[in-house]
Amino acid sequence: MKKQIIYAVAAILLLANSTQAQIIKADVQVSGLTCSMCQLATEKALKTLDFVSDIKPDLNKNIYVITFKKDKSVNLDQIKSKVKGAGFSVSKLVATINFNDVKVSNNFQYKYLGNTYHFVNVPTKNLSGSTRITLLDKGFIPDNTFKKNVAEIKAPGYKTGQIAGARIYHVTI
Amino acid sequence: MLPFKVKKILALLCVCSALITGLNAQELYVSTEPASNMPKNSMGLRLTTEVMPGSDVSLRIVPEVMVGITKNLMAHSIVYISDVHQQQQRFEGFGFYAKYRLLSIDSLQRHFRMAAYGRYSSIKNPTYYLDPTASTPSVIDIDEINLEGDNSGMQGGIVATQLLHKLALSASVNYTRASDNRGGNELLAGQARETFGYSFSAGYLTYPKVYTSYDQPNINVYMEFLGKTNLGNSKNFMEAAPAFQVILNSRTRIDVSKRFQLYGNMNRMTKNMWLFRLEHNLFNVF
Repeated sequence: MKKQIIYAVAAILLLANSTQAQIIKADVQVSGLTCSMCQLATEKALKTLDFVSDIKPDLNKNIYVITFKKDKSVNLDQIKSKVKGAGFSVSKLVATINFNDVKVSNNFQYKYLGNTYHFVNVPTKNLSGSTRITLLDKGFIPDNTFKKNVAEIKAPGYKTGQIAGARIYHVTI
Repeated sequence: MLPFKVKKILALLCVCSALITGLNAQELYVSTEPASNMPKNSMGLRLTTEVMPGSDVSLRIVPEVMVGITKNLMAHSIVYISDVHQQQQRFEGFGFYAKYRLLSIDSLQRHFRMAAYGRYSSIKNPTYYLDPTASTPSVIDIDEINLEGDNSGMQGGIVATQLLHKLALSASVNYTRASDNRGGNELLAGQARETFGYSFSAGYLTYPKVYTSYDQPNINVYMEFLGKTNLGNSKNFMEAAPAFQVILNSRTRIDVSKRFQLYGNMNRMTKNMWLFRLEHNLFNVF
């Protein structure tokens, strides 16, 4: 039994070390925006995050392409909070993550920097190199879509975004 | 029943809004506030000049500091200076305005917001004026309760703003209770102490058709209807307030508006006024 626990811990540590995945950028679509003044305010709010290196806005589609700093840990929830603080909502967040040969499948959980990414509705496949993943959690999609998803997505922690007090993001490819 | 003139303008407005598909709607209204809030941690500096036309043109200067406190709460502090009630410009008083966003339903090309707001004003101005046409000095009661410079009092209201694809519409209702003005300027026996206010606003962006940068100037056109009905003496008025707005560098706002009284039986100090405004916004100041 003891041996098994040690193996399990070792496996987790190994997994955490070997993956070295990195969130490179995020395409954040913001809803509710109607004017360039509001868009500028939202961009200025996002720029205050210490892990943001650069923001390129698409003013017509209301999308901010946010590039992250390599040496800082990225917190997607803070992006959501900054957009909310500016008075708007995130309607879509697509994160580009650099995977190092990770085999994903439905309900596969991927641990990265203290967060868990739970894959939903994905085929079994190997992820290698830049991969775009879309967040499905509350606050990252329109509220009515989230309400619909709650009935359909049975993944653990989907409703609250947490399992035993730890953040769990639900993502799809 | 709405008077014919108002119906005509409403019909014209509907035709206009139908014609301008392909443009983005705007809701940075000039004579009213939308249900949307300022961004958290932002600050706006506003200087409004109101010009009351007539044989004796008078001017009110209104500096204002606006702050986004939380994502749902914003506040203005306001100072009033004018020569509306005398020949010389002087400090009339101050006011506070706060707005709390109650509801926010966002989707990509539309949003609906509702907010509750309150206003407090402390003003030192007479509640009547001298009849300029009378040969012997006689006074005329001011019927309109105007917390934006003429009266002390409190106001509470609700505003809803809907962005529907290309058109931004906003409507508000409020209740105002006037108190006696400072400096012994009491409300007179025949004067109403309570008024019911209502507004309807529409706005749209005419330039640019396609956004390419934050430096592009935005040009917005508005049509607003502003009405009040006194509780007690049932005096009322309705004004149309077309407005023109330019936004520079996505930070600085220039507004021009002219009000036209469509109907009304109130003695007012701000009838048919012109409004000129300069506003500058600062982001992440706290």
